[in-house]
Amino acid sequence: MSNFTLCIDTSAGTTVAVLQGDEVRSEIHFDENMKHAERIGDAIAQAIAGAEISPARITNVVVGRGPAPFTGLRIGIAAAVMFSEGVGAKLWGVTSLEAIARAALVERGDASASDKPLLVTADARRSEVYWALYSGLTKSGAPILLEGPGVLKPAALEELLAGKEFDRTQIKINAADLGRVFEAQLLDGTASTDVGALYLREADAVAPKDLREFGKRVSG
Amino acid sequence: MKNLNYIIREAAEQDLEQIMELENACFGNDAWDADTMHFEVVAHHTHYLAAFDGPEETPKLIGFAGLSKIPGNDQADIQTIAVSEAARGKGVGKALMLELLKEARRLHTAEMFLEVRADNPAAQNLYLNLGFEHIDTRKRYYQPDDVDAWVMRLQFAKTSIGREPVVLGIETSCDETGVGIVRGNTLLANIISSSMDEHARFGGVVPEIAARAHLEALKPTLDQALAKANLSLKDIDAIAVTNGPGLGGALMVGIGAAKALSVAIEKPIYAVNHLVGHVGVDILERGELQTPTVALLVSGGHTSLLLVRDLLNDVELLGETIDDAAGEAFDKVARVLRLKYPGGPEIDKAAVGGDPKAIRFPRGLSLPKDMEKHRYDFSFSGLKTAVARWVEVAETKDEPINVADIAASFREAVADVLVTKAVNACLDHKVPRLLLGGGVVANARLRELAQERCDAHGIELRIPALSLCTDNGAMIAALGAQLMMAGRAPSSLHFGSDSTLPVTTVQSH
Repeated sequence: MSNFTLCIDTSAGTTVAVLQGDEVRSEIHFDENMKHAERIGDAIAQAIAGAEISPARITNVVVGRGPAPFTGLRIGIAAAVMFSEGVGAKLWGVTSLEAIARAALVERGDASASDKPLLVTADARRSEVYWALYSGLTKSGAPILLEGPGVLKPAALEELLAGKEFDRTQIKINAADLGRVFEAQLLDGTASTDVGALYLREADAVAPKDLREFGKRVSG
Repeated sequence: MKNLNYIIREAAEQDLEQIMELENACFGNDAWDADTMHFEVVAHHTHYLAAFDGPEETPKLIGFAGLSKIPGNDQADIQTIAVSEAARGKGVGKALMLELLKEARRLHTAEMFLEVRADNPAAQNLYLNLGFEHIDTRKRYYQPDDVDAWVMRLQFAKTSIGREPVVLGIETSCDETGVGIVRGNTLLANIISSSMDEHARFGGVVPEIAARAHLEALKPTLDQALAKANLSLKDIDAIAVTNGPGLGGALMVGIGAAKALSVAIEKPIYAVNHLVGHVGVDILERGELQTPTVALLVSGGHTSLLLVRDLLNDVELLGETIDDAAGEAFDKVARVLRLKYPGGPEIDKAAVGGDPKAIRFPRGLSLPKDMEKHRYDFSFSGLKTAVARWVEVAETKDEPINVADIAASFREAVADVLVTKAVNACLDHKVPRLLLGGGVVANARLRELAQERCDAHGIELRIPALSLCTDNGAMIAALGAQLMMAGRAPSSLHFGSDSTLPVTTVQSH
């Protein structure tokens, strides 16, 4: 198979992989949850060099849409958009939590071992978490979404899921898993070209204070 | 040409006596004899410059330098450079070198060489900063001192690809997503997508909204720019991107995009300074930037006064706002007057028919005591409060509020203080030109007053087209092209955003 896929995710750290079909040809991970702008160029360049191909061989670009804290997430999406434009590749979006779900569900083994849903969470900062609940994998290996994704305080999430049985996972996101989810979704016919960032929160912005009031306070 | 306090002009036969005096004082045992120097200065294949200081009638030679380039050969040599001991440390050597580099470019030089003493780090640093690299060492070259020589080389051709480079510039430092394309000094496309409307209800730029909008606008803006230039990405020789100063989250969208594009099309990337971009944009209209120039950059995010002796090598921040930017003051006063956002054009409209002398609003940092410490700095926070108070007092007294008079008087105060300080900078530094940049340049009164005062002082005023004054990608592309044509190495892929990037950092590595 000669189709190369470049996978990019900046929902947590900066992780980039090149897949050839199911086979991971290279992967680069910068774990820190910052410095995405500094890392993204090197990560893509090194992943492509590691796969021993020229950039033009990439035919699909897959990017993690989050949910994630905004600043870092956008850098990966911006990079994916421009890379696909640069080499004329198709551009696809995958929910980042699905990559974690797939890795955890594959690790958990075949469905007979446990049929409990899987809760995937990610740090949303401001003492909140992003979360989604998955029931299992399709035959192709794509996670099946049960509930979410959403953003909540941990206590509120516990309350929401109280009484339900589910497994948890500590697995970290890996761009190679993102690519595997995409390959499975492609087979299932569910792959999406939507690369819009999943912010799940409104932009922080406050309506302006009345400057005449402000003037009064100063003079008073 | 006049360079601050001294003058640099082509050296001539009548300068020889002074040149030999300086030659002997600087080089002692190593000095050339008078015949050699005479031949060098008058020869057709050489170009010698002399720097003079002092009164016009009796100028004193303080430095000279020369290059040699045989016609048909694309290599040139710096033959010599000397600066009198009294004049050292004032940038005379650098100014002479910059003029020689200009001449070398004019002569289509591919490579320039020089030798410098291994025990002269000050000179080595000057050359390194100008883009020279140390390529070889000649053992015991300088006799009788027994000192090695560094051979240094500047490659004009290495990155200038033997023709004018096509550079794509990406700008996302505030609320404008800009993609511009230039070929050398020529503008090919300048597409701007603004998120201004989304900020309107907040009365000012909201960083998170701006960053979200950049992500959405990137691809359509790029596509439009390529279509306008009638080019494909295959035609692009390099990418340039703003990495500061500006809003961090917004800058990072452009940086991520630019780096990925650079890797995808396998072309170099240049990380450039937004404010220096505003200065360099004049090249796209005039084919060159005339230096030295004072530049006044006024927008919603910046109010900066710069002294530009050389676009790539010598940009100095003379002053800037210590609180609100001028554009911010317009937005805030517009809110006080219940006018819309952005405030600049609204206040311009409201001021029509108003009396600019109706109310004497304060001119920030213009008192004698301020002029010592903050001669070139600005402050607009007090002005905004003064307007708010004036309105409040009038309301309390139930007096009618004449919006036209307030708008005109406020606008007069802003324009007055901006132009006064900019013209002062020109006069203080004996710089005969002033360049305006930034979105506030759209303000009618600012343009008018700047023209009036510049005319009165014989200062040449440059105001680029408004589409090049507001934030745009073309200015970023133009600065990238200048760096490339000057033989500068591209940036690495490691650079990040710097919200407070100083103007002295033209390119980040």
